[in-house]
Amino acid sequence: MTFRAIGTPEGTADRLFADCAAIRRVQRLVTDLFRRRGYDEVMTPEVEFFDLFGDIAQENLRVMVDRTGKLLVMRPDNTAPIARVAATKLKTMRLPQRLYYNQTVFRADDAHTGSRGEIAQCGVELIGASGYRADLEVLSMGVQALEVVGLRDFRLEIGHAGFFPALAAALGAENDRAMRDALEQGNFDAYQKLLQNYLGAPLGRAMAQLPRLSGGEEVLERARALFQLPAAQEILDSLERLYRELEAAGLGERVQFDLGLVPKFGYYTGMVFRGYALGAGSIVLSGGRYDALLGKFGFDAPATGFAVDAAALAGCTSQAARTDPKTMLYYAGGCLGQALRRVMTASAGTCAISTCETEQGALVQARAAGAEQLIVIDTNGERSVTL
Amino acid sequence: MKRLRIAVTKGRLLEDSVALFEKAGLDCAALKADTRKLILPIADYPLDVILAKAPDVLTYVTHGVCDLGIVGRDTILEHGGSFYEMLDLGYGACRFALAVRQGDDFYGSYRTRRVATKYPNVTKRYFAEKGMDVETIKIEGSVELGPILGLSDAIMDVVQTGTTLKENGLVPIEDVAQISARLIANPASVKLHRAEVLDFVEKCEAAL
Repeated sequence: MTFRAIGTPEGTADRLFADCAAIRRVQRLVTDLFRRRGYDEVMTPEVEFFDLFGDIAQENLRVMVDRTGKLLVMRPDNTAPIARVAATKLKTMRLPQRLYYNQTVFRADDAHTGSRGEIAQCGVELIGASGYRADLEVLSMGVQALEVVGLRDFRLEIGHAGFFPALAAALGAENDRAMRDALEQGNFDAYQKLLQNYLGAPLGRAMAQLPRLSGGEEVLERARALFQLPAAQEILDSLERLYRELEAAGLGERVQFDLGLVPKFGYYTGMVFRGYALGAGSIVLSGGRYDALLGKFGFDAPATGFAVDAAALAGCTSQAARTDPKTMLYYAGGCLGQALRRVMTASAGTCAISTCETEQGALVQARAAGAEQLIVIDTNGERSVTL
Repeated sequence: MKRLRIAVTKGRLLEDSVALFEKAGLDCAALKADTRKLILPIADYPLDVILAKAPDVLTYVTHGVCDLGIVGRDTILEHGGSFYEMLDLGYGACRFALAVRQGDDFYGSYRTRRVATKYPNVTKRYFAEKGMDVETIKIEGSVELGPILGLSDAIMDVVQTGTTLKENGLVPIEDVAQISARLIANPASVKLHRAEVLDFVEKCEAAL
């Protein structure tokens, strides 16, 4: 059989050595943090039923068919499967449940733009807890997740899934769906044009400011003056309350606000947040409160969570170059046991056993590979040959 | 202050962009110099200019290697990407139009219509929204040849004055979208260098 496929499918990539090490490092540090905060790991299938992911456009999914003709999809999101698990397998357990995962999601969007169709996510879901302490639980962990991987310049921006809908409902605009989409896609110019017919109303003029209502805590003050609606004030109060506690915990400078933040997924109901880091062109963390999702599986419980993009984070942190083992071992017949003991007592990555049949061959290969010494093991013991 | 990097579309949009920058008070000597350098610094403002082909502007900004970009709405509609669309700069104004040979009735047939275009994504989306199944044919050069040679029933193209259409016996029958140059920004740049990005955006806005 001849293999013709020498490339990998659209959006996928082989990762070698230092690239793997950097991603594994992020995953180790972040999942250590999750465990430290009392979270327990779950794994869900890479393949799920198509119907589980109603929020994602079909062309962005990697779809396949099972033997009975049912449509399956490579998991494009971790939250919906975990919600399914919580609603089916955990509903009799005491709440809240603290869950974490370390698994890849698969997307099929943006062909030829170099974007990734496989995203290694580490995330948490806090199931069955509502209120501001639950929000603080995940927000603080979000900041910590970016801290533990060693990022210096990063920011978490908090918004609220209910903020724009509350304003749009009060404005009574017919094209609120289009406005929401424009904000979600970051098309601020289109958003302003959609608002054009409503600029006669004070609320319409205030809403034109929405894309610029991002920044430090002063944003909340500006928003309070712009939006007198009780529903908006209530949301601003809740965000301020979160901020005060984070500030008191010394995390204030890591946290900002983006009141124009409209989440991509419709399942978010409360505060939502995103993480940005110097060196990453895209979002490195995203999450929020989704109290309506579990209800769709017949288990009405509040929930909140977030995920980090492990590869994006790995790309922002400095990476060590690959190092080849400095010591090669060659054993004479019957001495494999000694060789194994020798390699297992050396520190990882510094020593390897030669696969050459002859000592001379092992010597040539070790030299070519840039090793510093060859240790020859036979029944007389071992001797070192400096290369 | 962090130096921002902006990718500007080469060609017609570049002249208008330089005019805008100058009106905003930036020293554009490096941009006007006859040079093969790819990164051109603005002397009196923390901004480096990169000249790029239109789709590459989207790519650079999406990946965050450029903080900002200036590109036509036609390119954005065709190629997409993830970035903030901050401002309509107004220049480079034209429109997407559907055009047919003088006297042809594009909709008056049950056969699947063929549309020649440089913008297959825009074309497919437009007819999908109409609920109409058409065959799009990608043409790289003069799209007007499609109906003339009998390859297609219509063309979907960027139309500025309509002179080229007229000279080739074609007439626009529908305006599909208005187009002009846009200032785009990488979301992470906006978040992490907010003051610098907003300063530049406001300078541009004031100079429009």
